[in-house]
Amino acid sequence: MIANAEALLKPLTIKGLTIRNRVMSTSHAPSYGKDGKPQERYQLYHEEKAKGGIGLTMFGGSSSVSVDSPAAPWNQISVADDGVVPFFREFSDRIHRHGAKLMIQLTHMGRRTKWDTEHWIPVKSASATREPASRAIAKALEQEEIDRIVADFAAAARRCKEGGLDGCEISAAHGHLVDQFWSPHSNHRSDKYGGSLENRMRFGIEVLSAMREAVGDDYVIGMRMSGDEMLKGGLSHEDCVTIASEYASRGLVDFLNIIGGQARDHIAHAVSLPNMSFPVAPFLPLPSAIKREVDVPIFHAQRVTDLATGARAVAEGHVDMIAMTRAHIADPHLVKKLSEGRADDIRQCVGAGYCIDRIYVGGDALCIQNAATGREATMPHVIDKAPAAKKAVVVGGGVGGLEAARVLAERGHQVTLFEKSDRLGGQINVASKATWREALSGIPRWLVAQVQKLGVDIRLGTEAGEAEIAALSPDIVVVATGGLPQKGEAKGFEHAVTTWDVLEGRSEPSGTVLLYDEIGGHNAASTAEVLARRGCLVEMATHDRMIGEEIGPTNQPVHLRELYKLGVLMTPNSELIEIYPEGNRLIAALRNTMTDAEEERVVDAVVVDYGTLPVDGLHFALKDKARNKGLTDLQAMIDGRPQPAEMNGAVAEGGYTLYRIGDAVAGRNIHAAIYDALRLCKDL
Amino acid sequence: MTAAAFLPWLVVAMIAVAVVQIARRLFLWRRGKPATVDWLAGLKALPSRYLVDVHHVVDRDRSASKMHVPTAGGLVLASSLLVLGLVPAIAGSRAYWALVALAFLVMSAGVGLEARRRYPRALPRLSLGQWQRFPVLLGLFAGGGLLTSLLAALGNPLPALSFLTLIATATGGLALASTAATGPMRHALAGAAHLVAHPRPDRFGGGRSTGLRPLDLSVETPWSEKRREEPFEEEGPQKLGVETPSDFAWTRLLAFDACVQCGRCEAACPAFAAGQPLSPKHLIADLAAATAGGHVRPYAGQPYPNARETIGAAGLHAPIIAPDGMVHPDTLWSCTTCRACVEECPMMIEHVDAIVDLRRFQTLELGAVPLKAEEPLANFRGCDEPNGRALKERTDFAAGLALPRIADKGEADVLLWLGQAAYDLRGQRTLKALIQTLKSAGVDFAVLGDEERDCGDLARRLGDEATFQRLARANIAALSRYGFKRILTADPHALHVIRNEYPAFGGHYEVIHHTAFLAELVAAKRLAPAPLTGRAVTYHDPCYLGRYQGEVEAPRDLLDALGLERREMARSGKRSMCCGGGGGAPATDIPGDTRIPDIRMGQAMDTGARTVAVACPQCTAMLEGVTGERPEVKDVAELLWEALQAGERTNGPAVRELEPA
Repeated sequence: MIANAEALLKPLTIKGLTIRNRVMSTSHAPSYGKDGKPQERYQLYHEEKAKGGIGLTMFGGSSSVSVDSPAAPWNQISVADDGVVPFFREFSDRIHRHGAKLMIQLTHMGRRTKWDTEHWIPVKSASATREPASRAIAKALEQEEIDRIVADFAAAARRCKEGGLDGCEISAAHGHLVDQFWSPHSNHRSDKYGGSLENRMRFGIEVLSAMREAVGDDYVIGMRMSGDEMLKGGLSHEDCVTIASEYASRGLVDFLNIIGGQARDHIAHAVSLPNMSFPVAPFLPLPSAIKREVDVPIFHAQRVTDLATGARAVAEGHVDMIAMTRAHIADPHLVKKLSEGRADDIRQCVGAGYCIDRIYVGGDALCIQNAATGREATMPHVIDKAPAAKKAVVVGGGVGGLEAARVLAERGHQVTLFEKSDRLGGQINVASKATWREALSGIPRWLVAQVQKLGVDIRLGTEAGEAEIAALSPDIVVVATGGLPQKGEAKGFEHAVTTWDVLEGRSEPSGTVLLYDEIGGHNAASTAEVLARRGCLVEMATHDRMIGEEIGPTNQPVHLRELYKLGVLMTPNSELIEIYPEGNRLIAALRNTMTDAEEERVVDAVVVDYGTLPVDGLHFALKDKARNKGLTDLQAMIDGRPQPAEMNGAVAEGGYTLYRIGDAVAGRNIHAAIYDALRLCKDL
Repeated sequence: MTAAAFLPWLVVAMIAVAVVQIARRLFLWRRGKPATVDWLAGLKALPSRYLVDVHHVVDRDRSASKMHVPTAGGLVLASSLLVLGLVPAIAGSRAYWALVALAFLVMSAGVGLEARRRYPRALPRLSLGQWQRFPVLLGLFAGGGLLTSLLAALGNPLPALSFLTLIATATGGLALASTAATGPMRHALAGAAHLVAHPRPDRFGGGRSTGLRPLDLSVETPWSEKRREEPFEEEGPQKLGVETPSDFAWTRLLAFDACVQCGRCEAACPAFAAGQPLSPKHLIADLAAATAGGHVRPYAGQPYPNARETIGAAGLHAPIIAPDGMVHPDTLWSCTTCRACVEECPMMIEHVDAIVDLRRFQTLELGAVPLKAEEPLANFRGCDEPNGRALKERTDFAAGLALPRIADKGEADVLLWLGQAAYDLRGQRTLKALIQTLKSAGVDFAVLGDEERDCGDLARRLGDEATFQRLARANIAALSRYGFKRILTADPHALHVIRNEYPAFGGHYEVIHHTAFLAELVAAKRLAPAPLTGRAVTYHDPCYLGRYQGEVEAPRDLLDALGLERREMARSGKRSMCCGGGGGAPATDIPGDTRIPDIRMGQAMDTGARTVAVACPQCTAMLEGVTGERPEVKDVAELLWEALQAGERTNGPAVRELEPA
């Protein structure tokens, strides 16, 4: 039991609305919207949290109220017309069935959106300015347009109430239209909406007053805002306290949802969505300070990844509701597990930022470690028992193998897990050696605890061969042997070492190091940081247009910030073509991919990252003896159906079925390995 | 004159001696407080109380019943026959003496069986000393009587020998008679009188009443203040609770004298087992000895475990629990009020009520409660709740469950009494399961919400009668505002208090435990649990449900209905062992060698079951507090809810293919 759990499990009543506990999920955009509506996938995703005991779940981050704030980016929700109301009704019924409350975020994004989407309308803002993050030049709003947008907010609030939602908040954070008016950084107007803070606050007051008028005094309306923009020329903490006090004392808002920072450019955006390089709850002092000044409940999110931190924040009176949004993506059953005394079973968010990073590159939000999140229609969060217990062997104790062992054991099978090394965790044991990437180790930590608890027979330091597997006479064999790094095909590649060699300590380069990265992921960037911290003079070259091109927008700026601070020389658009020794040093030849011009570097070491190739020897040794010839039926896997070679409900005669998952098939990522394991094993 | 001819006179002499002895004891008993006794009903019920109720308990130890029936029967028969021998015509008949010899033979056989329980080594729970000598005296009387009467039946062939056997008979008989009020023989008359004048008569025949009488709290100046002002004033307000033996009702003093020191209570006592300084047998012996006064404590049983030092001064008017008294306060506060002693006592003694009476004086007049028990009692006074939380927070845990309040509905079929569990994370899980089950069965129920105060069980067991009465009256006042048919609760302590202790304050309710209620719903097919097969479970009977209410079947029926493999612990049902959570024991927290729940969990683990099913929030908390590897602890309601959810999953639309794909 965590300390202060009781503080977390106390209800909170706002006006007539009683929220059953102090744990919530803030509005965000998982990119599950379809045609601007929250449809089945979106609803099931939130329903899982409601089932899992959450007090309040808020959906629809940046749901638009106006046509000139398009819903298309991130597949968002449009509350700009009445067509959304039936979906709200269905959604709120679904959530209320489980005793949770449901709210939405409404906004006009102003300049923080795109013009080249469904309607091709220029973006709008207080003044004609450009935000680096959204890359659009805004048209300054005219009075008639302001009046129209105010009315749009009011109409949207009415739709929320008609749809049975328990409340709504407006977004005045992350640089949306309301805070574009507030911030002197983006508001250069000279009319009644510009100049003094009083004038700059006017637009938001008009918006909330109109909403209030539309839905009445008893409907819960809140506001999300920054407690300090931490931006030169932006809103200071004192400004934010003034705004919060003014809005709250006017009775315009029933709660305030406080964040730290803003999101006008890449690094600000990354800071406002703190990843694993940040301490836990880094901005808690901001909501705490505002709570001292206002009489309305305070909500707060930002890297509150564990219940103990959340409970402390509530118990000590810093906030009234603690938002654990990404923590619920990792484990939607957080509160249930806490109240059932199973807090040890909580799959804790590690702050990888995989969920949010995918949104900004056009993907849907998926959890790096929980493959069921966002896939509730097909993937279970709670694994059902299989009708018949079988004997299963999993080879490889990386995250894919661990997830396979976990799911198979939850199914009630008798599972043996072989791991060649003396430690479970696989490649994460390598990756987590690199500076702030250490938190990745939380992923196998949970999996290992689960498989141990489920009674999986774990055989460490044991390489599984045909004989070892045959001795167990299994019904199912899952090969999760992972991959090993390769050194590429450049001439003289044998002179290079891999990022793994560096991180695992087999190679300890000093002096001048060329780090060549062909993958663009965390591996090379974090290895460069390790080398530079050890005192190496590091040049990081890559074939890509930029360093860390594959890394998502909440992580890449942090890597770049660290690499710049450490003086790492970054050379994009370069391909490593040859390495040869000269004296006791190495010459590395690079070719500019745009001009074909070649340059040479004299270095002490060349470190390369070309990703991994599968370790598949065992798979091919077993393949011919397997009933299914080691083939996974792809369509069944995609549909989330049982594999055709399996007799579900009975133990089949005649040997085992063989499946290969994760990097043992092809080098990909953590989520891919875990998803492979879950979707295959949930039906075995 | 033959030796045998003296036997009838010996019996007369014995009766005379015994009568004098007993009269003195009678005088002592009468120094206790008056008690209302329905003599006629008691006398009428005596045969059945003795032959059914007492025999039922005695017979649990077959060696005891086998020993007692011939010994007592032979003694009564032989003595009665001998009284007839006062008629010379009868005394002249050799057949008569043969009959007497037969009676003595029966008695001798019984004494022989008794001796086997004590020699060469007595069972550890038995007392030694005069109790060890008792079969010797009985043997002298029975054996001597047998030989004397046998010789008479044979026509007195060896007159010298028969005089020797007569002397043996007389030695044994007179020794027994002269200790009729102070020695082991005391149990016979005191026991019979106790059965007639029992302070809780409706326990015979299965009544589940409380033995605790409400104290009259109406006095303006409490006894303790009065005594401070006028220390030598004999007259004054009645003190609250029991300080000295004379403060007990005389029927209680009588009951202490009925004790046969068989030690069954001690063997069953959880505090004794855990090495806390309590033995119910020792305590009753102490109370009997204190009544008679003096420093002498001729107690020859096992000492209180880890006995605290006491001086041992005692008297009818001397404080029992005092620095120089007979009994250390830790003994008093070790009791969990589980009534295992009461259940096992062949003499139907009510140990627990005596303990609560003693606690009342300590708490109400002296304020001398153990340090850790002060907090809940202080909280009761301020908040009507032992942990100092607001009453309106009792329903916080159910904020997402739309818990209906009776104030909103006015009336409901069932009033759900939430109890203390509602404040506790673990207890909340059980209550949530129960509430969800009630909803899925469509039960019309509601809760009192912030009008529910603590039921007062803890306050009463800790001796704070004033708080108990205040809480009881306040709850009864709240309950009287609403219409409902039954009160439903998952807390056996609340169940006992509301069902059996509120009537004394005018609150008469039909109260049902959740296991019985849920069993009703399942039997009526209002719930369709899926079988939870393949799982072994052992059920731990809560004392306040099993022993106090005699309800041991409903929870078992429910578990059986879930298809669970039910394994019984060695101690179960009405003879179950306490979890250590009752009577305020967790608050008084008297240290011992081990913890009661650890012992009980060990017994549960002996069954090999992976789940311990419980039906009381106290038991849940105590058993879950056991550290290390152990079975999971689940309330019966939780198991039912699990089965209901499993049923929903398998019958619902989300069922996955089970055929070959």
